[in-house]
Formats: sequence, structure tokens, C-alpha cells
Amino acid sequence: MHKKIVLAASLGIVFAYCAVALLAPVIAPYDPHAITGAPLSPPDRDHLLGTNDLAQDIFSGLIWGTRATLLLGFVGAAIAVTVGTAAGIVSGYYGGLIDEAVMRLLDVAMTIPIFPLLLILTTFFRPGIYLIAVLMGLLGSFQGVRLIRSQVLSLAVADFVVGTRALGAGDGYIMARHILPGVLPLAGVKFVTSAQHFMLIGIGLGFLGITDPSVVDWGQMINRASQNGAMILGLWWWLIPPGLAVTLISLALAWLGYACEDEINPRLRVMRV
Amino acid sequence: MIEVTDLETCFSTGFIRRRVVRAVDGVSFRIEEGETLGLVGESGCGKTTLGRSILRLVEPDRGRIVVDGTDVTALSRSELRCFRPRMQMIFQDAYTSLNPRMRVRESVAEPLKIHRMGSRTDIDRRVRELIEEVGLNEEHLNRRPYELSGGQNQRVVLARVLALKPRFLVADEPTSALDVSVQAQILNLIRDLGHDYRMTCLYISHDLGVTRAMSSRVAVMLEGRIVEIGRTADVLDRPSHPYTRRLVDASLTGPCASLERLPLPAAPTTVEVRSGHWVEETV
Amino acid sequence: MTAMSDALLEVRGLKVGFPTPEGLVRASDTVDLEIYPRETLGLIGETGSGKTVLGMAILRLLQPNTIIEGEIRYRGRDLLSLPEAEMQRVRGREIGIVLQNSGTSLNPVYTVGTQIAEAVILHQGLSGPDARQRAVELLDAVGIPDPVRMAGEYPHRFSGGMRERALIATALACRPNLLIADEPTKGLDAVTKRGIVDLFSEIDRDHSVLFITHDIETAGDLATRVAVMYAGEIVEIGGAEEVLGDPAHPYTRGLLASLPERGMQPIPGSAPSLITLPSGCRFSPRCGCAVENCSREHPGLVEVGSGHYARCMLYD
Repeated sequence: MHKKIVLAASLGIVFAYCAVALLAPVIAPYDPHAITGAPLSPPDRDHLLGTNDLAQDIFSGLIWGTRATLLLGFVGAAIAVTVGTAAGIVSGYYGGLIDEAVMRLLDVAMTIPIFPLLLILTTFFRPGIYLIAVLMGLLGSFQGVRLIRSQVLSLAVADFVVGTRALGAGDGYIMARHILPGVLPLAGVKFVTSAQHFMLIGIGLGFLGITDPSVVDWGQMINRASQNGAMILGLWWWLIPPGLAVTLISLALAWLGYACEDEINPRLRVMRV
Repeated sequence: MIEVTDLETCFSTGFIRRRVVRAVDGVSFRIEEGETLGLVGESGCGKTTLGRSILRLVEPDRGRIVVDGTDVTALSRSELRCFRPRMQMIFQDAYTSLNPRMRVRESVAEPLKIHRMGSRTDIDRRVRELIEEVGLNEEHLNRRPYELSGGQNQRVVLARVLALKPRFLVADEPTSALDVSVQAQILNLIRDLGHDYRMTCLYISHDLGVTRAMSSRVAVMLEGRIVEIGRTADVLDRPSHPYTRRLVDASLTGPCASLERLPLPAAPTTVEVRSGHWVEETV
Repeated sequence: MTAMSDALLEVRGLKVGFPTPEGLVRASDTVDLEIYPRETLGLIGETGSGKTVLGMAILRLLQPNTIIEGEIRYRGRDLLSLPEAEMQRVRGREIGIVLQNSGTSLNPVYTVGTQIAEAVILHQGLSGPDARQRAVELLDAVGIPDPVRMAGEYPHRFSGGMRERALIATALACRPNLLIADEPTKGLDAVTKRGIVDLFSEIDRDHSVLFITHDIETAGDLATRVAVMYAGEIVEIGGAEEVLGDPAHPYTRGLLASLPERGMQPIPGSAPSLITLPSGCRFSPRCGCAVENCSREHPGLVEVGSGHYARCMLYD
């Protein structure tokens, strides 16, 4: 029961964030870049969360920032999980030289820290939000490969896979029809945890100023607020809302990941009995 | 008709110090059309690997396998895939032989779909025929493996395999995980279906009682080699190789003398002790 | 059956039920049996007949939410009412158990010798080196070659038959009076199985053994008496020669007839679910001898020969 509440709550939060991201133009009262009144004004009826030093509406920034953050997280995770799962399946299913090659490549790739590399890569290219998401996804895809591969290794020698091969099925068919469904739950969990991870990285990049200048994001907002001494000046409406927004989605995704893990583990055990 | 000549399958283990294990070590035999050859031996003697090598589910390193006049060892990968329907295999554990996520209907229809045998309605009709042939009914079609008993699952596996009307069946201890009363049901079913479909069969088992009931000839395997082969009655009632004698003694009921480890023969030669009954010489 | 005071273990009216969302699983229903000193009782049953549950219930190893009724008297003491602390002294020291699945019953991260020594240290308070010495002796006693070296090996280096032997050694470590062995020959090939059977026929000179198995022939080889379980009940019990040589219950007869050596005549149908049991005799829906009354009245155990009982209308 307790688990169900956690699952429902975290799903609710994630869906609410998605809704906000999609409906940003409707919900946000102003263009987040527009100058809408006096700078640094505290929250009132016109500006729910006040304005920043450039007289931009903070509430609108927060709403539009949801888009950027979710986009970074979900697009990045989708790429990472797709690439990682495909590599894991191919490597585990074929084994032998292919597996060996993939594993050695991973050994090298895993030693590269993602965050600094992202910093370097994004300064090379003109940082667009999609570019950051794709780069993050590709670099993060290494992490899922081993997890998926180990599951594939045990599936590939299962009697039903050998039996299907004996029926005359091709490798592509077996991987798609028998191996992939077996690793999908695992890939799902990986998607959720990667999404959380990538959102935090995205915020971190924003905070360091490596962002798409045309998009508002929370990292950038927090950066601006702290640069301008929001903390010291007691301008809580500038600093706290984006911070809370990050914390809440990050928590919700973490819970969701744990709940999914709980959900698939006992089920897999039952199936094996 | 199946003919295996000088088959050898090796596995290498270890990454740094590669060690080669010869699981199947120069095996030759013939199975006549419609006949069932029993293959007995202890666990680890290579009988499962031999079964899988014949179907090229494990690639043999050397030797020739002829199934129904086709040299299986010479087939390319795509030719092999087209040839596969003619030779099928059933496994020891029926639960793991079926994809746990697939319903019985999908599992039985799968071989027909892979080889595009008929339209959707044809396949559906054939699935219902097959499921009744193996003694289940339509109600079982919507179940998943974990909702069925071991015996029922083994029936589903049989239906799936029979869908392709194979000429040759390798049965790898299909009843060793089942209770005796269910085992008798499945053994009878395999025997009857083998007869109806005129299948040639290699029946792998470590249970001499089952082997005696299922096969007209039997081969005894020890450490990758066949040490004795002949008519079931000849081999099991009048065993000539010391290892066969040991197997037969171990299966006898009632108290029996404790068994000693046998020294292995150094350079084996095979002699015919009576017509069609060959033994690897040990002295 | 009359209660006999010289029995080592007496089970009286044992009922074991597992509550599940689908209903109560009656895994054992009014089971009566006794085990005498230095005898091997073979308990034969197929998957889901409740034979494993019976063995686990004797040592109170079942899940806490299990419903257990009846009496299990070991040397006059009712095990079901013992406090847990005392029960722990009974387990291992008085009654040893070899659990099913030798593959997972040994901890892969400790050497086999360490695991056997652990039992000795726990119950007999021996010091480390003494316990180690005892472990080596035990491995030797159960027929493991080169026991000194093998005691230092990890379980994955042991074959299926060797692992089974190591488990038996663990169970025997504290010289229990009763050894419960749950399917110790399952999944072993004929030669290995024969070795284990020979080992048990040596053990039962000093111990009582409850040998739980689905393998009729093995039970016949080892047991002095045999009990046959079907759908949670004992349907036949008596001397091994009587029960297996001249079976009284149609189920026992059916089991024997389904052996490949005896004509391979299967029993039609399949065993009932332990949640929805058939009315009357539980075997009646599959029984060739069933008469009308069989599906209405539930038969009790009837004496059909000296010490030989069967639960069947035919003998009423």
C-alpha cells in the first residue's frame, strides 16, 4: 500500500511537470525574456514570483524553464537508453569477438568523466539545447550497456531462445521478439534514473552558463540569482522557486525509479519459478 | 535417416590460459528412418552437446552430419535456417523452453509465422488442431507458461515443435523434471506422435528405464565418446563395456555392491560383439 | 493407528495451511505418522502433494503466517508448542535436515569446510581447529575423496552429487537422532544417485531417516516403511515391501504402473489444486475403481494388513 502511494505520487508529479512544460505558453503570463515592469520587485498580483534584475517575470521563467529541463532529461535519457540497450543486446547475444570489442570500448569510455567532457564539447559547438541533449545521451549510453548485457547473457542461452533458433528464426527476429521484451523493464528503470541524472547535469551546465541563450532554464536562473546576491539581499522569490522545482522533479524521478525496480524484481523472480 | 560421422565439438574456457574441452570427441552413428536411438550417459558426458551439435545449435568443429540426405554441416547460414523445420529439439525444462511473456497461442503459432506457413486464419486453425493433438484444449491457448503445470508446458513445447512437421527430433531428457505419473503421459504422447508424424528420434536420457521404453537401439556415451551401441535389449541386458555395466548396475533396484571408478581406456578401438552391437575395447 | 510410545517422532492430526489471495492452500491435512528409532520412512509424493511442507513443518521452518494445527511429538515433547529458543536447540542437534536444491543450499562465499564447522561450533561448542577437524572427518564419512583438500574448496567446485554429500555431512554434523532428507537424489543421474542411496543406507544404521522423494524406486531401495501422499493426505502407509509389492490404494498402484519398467500406464488427469479439493475421496476423479460413493464420502485410513493402512472405500 505504502509503495503504491509513493508510485502514484511520483507519477503524479512527473505528469504535472510534463503538463506544465507542454502548456507553458498558456500558463505563463509573460514572455520570459520580456521586460515586464520594475526590476527586482517582490511578488505581487502581476508578478506571482516577482521580477529579476532585468525586470523579467520569474514565474514565467520558471514555467518555460520546465520545458528545457524536461527536454534535456527525457531526450537525453531516450537516446542513452536506446543506444545502450541496442549495444547491450547485440554484445550479449552475439558474444565472442563483438562482445569483447564492445566491452573493451566500454572500459575506455567509462573512464571519461561525462561532466567535464560535456563542458569542453559544448564550448566547441555553439550550445543548442538539442545538441546538449544528444551529447549527453550519447555519452551517458555507456552506463546502461553492462546492465542490459548481463541480462541478455542469461536470456541468450535460455532454452526458449535456443528452441526458437532451432525453429529457423533469424537473429534479428530473436533479438526483437524474445530478447528485447526481456530487458525492457530494466531499460525502463534505466530510462527513469538516467532522466533524473541528466536533468541534474543540465541544471549544472546551466548554472555554469553553458546553455542555449535562446532558452530559459532553471540552472541559468539560479546562476543569475546567486551572481546578483539574491541570497544576501533576501530576494528569496528569485532563488528558492527554481531550486524547489529542481528538487521536486528530481525526487519524484528517483522515487519512480525505485518503485519500478521494486515492481520488476519480484515479478522476474516469480517468472523463473 | 540420420548419419553422423566423426563429429567433434570443443569448448574453450578461461581467458588467459585457454583450456580446450572436447565435449564431443569423434562420434559416429546412424539412425534409420522412423527409428528412435536412445543416448545414455552421466551428466557432463557430452550427450546434450552432441544433441545440439547435430542440429548445429552448437557449431561442431569437425565431422559430417547428414539428415534426410542433406549434409547439414555444409549448409550456409541462410540455407540452414530454411532447413531447420525438418529437425527439432525439445528440452529438459519445459518452463524455460517457452518465453514466459508469451501466451500459449503465440508460442505455438510462432514457428508457423516465422516460416510464413499460411494466412492468419490458417495459422489459427492449425494452432487449435495442434493443441488438441497434444492433449490440451482451446482454453489453454490464452494461458502463460507459469499458469500451467510442467506436464502441460511440455505438451505446449511439443505442439510448437510439431507445427513444422519435423522429420528428426532430438529429445533432451524431456521428462526428467516431471513426476512419474505425468512422465508416463508425456512419454506415451511422444511415442505416439513420433509414430504419427513418422519421426526419427534421438532420445537423450540418464534414466535407463525411460530409455528402454522409448528406444529400439541405444548408445552409451562416456566422456564425449560413444563406448557401446546396439539394440536396446542387447546393450542393457548384456552390457559388454565395463562402463555400461556400471550404469546398468546403478539403475538396478535393491541393494547393490558399491561402485568403483573405472580406469579409462588409452587407445580405443571398436569391436562388434554381436550383429549391430559395437563396443569400444578397453583392454 | 494406535499411538506407540516407543516412536522417536509422532505426528498427530497435522494440518498445514497457507493463506493466499486465492484461498487457503491446504498443503497437509490431518497427517498421522510415526518414525521409530533407526528406521527409514520413505515419504513418496508427487509435486504439490505436500511432502516437502510436512518435512519443513516438523522443524517449524515454514513462513510465520502459516496455519499449523495438530501435534508433532519428538521424544514426548510437542515441538509445535516449544519456545523458539528451545526449538533452535532441536534443529540441527536433535533433528537434522537436508533441504531440496543442493545448488543453493550452500553459501557460495564460504568454503565447504567452514560451513560444516559452523554447525559444529554453533551446537557443540567446539573450538575452531577441532570443528575444522570434525568437518574433514564428516566429509570423509560421506565419501568425499581427499576430504582435507575439499574442505578448503568453495561449493562451485563441487559437482551435484558432491554438493549433496556435503549437505548431508552438514546435517549429520551434530549427530542428530533424526535426519529429514528432502529429495536428495533429485536431478542426479543414475550413477550419482546410486552413490547417495548407498550413503543413506549406511547412515540409517545409526539414525532415523525421513526420506522425502518422488522417486518410488529409491524409496523402495532405502525405506523400511513407506508412506504415500496425495493432495495433502497420507493415502497409504505400511512396510515398504507390502506397500510397493502389494499396493492397496489405487493411487499407489497407478504410480507403480506409470513407471517405464512397469508398462508406463499413466494415471489419467492431473493432481487437484490444494485450494479446491474434490469432495469425498480426493483421488476419486482420477480413479479407475471409483464407485458412486467415492465422490461423496471421505474415506479414513483402513488397516488392510499388519501395520499396512490405506485410505480407500474398497476396504471399508
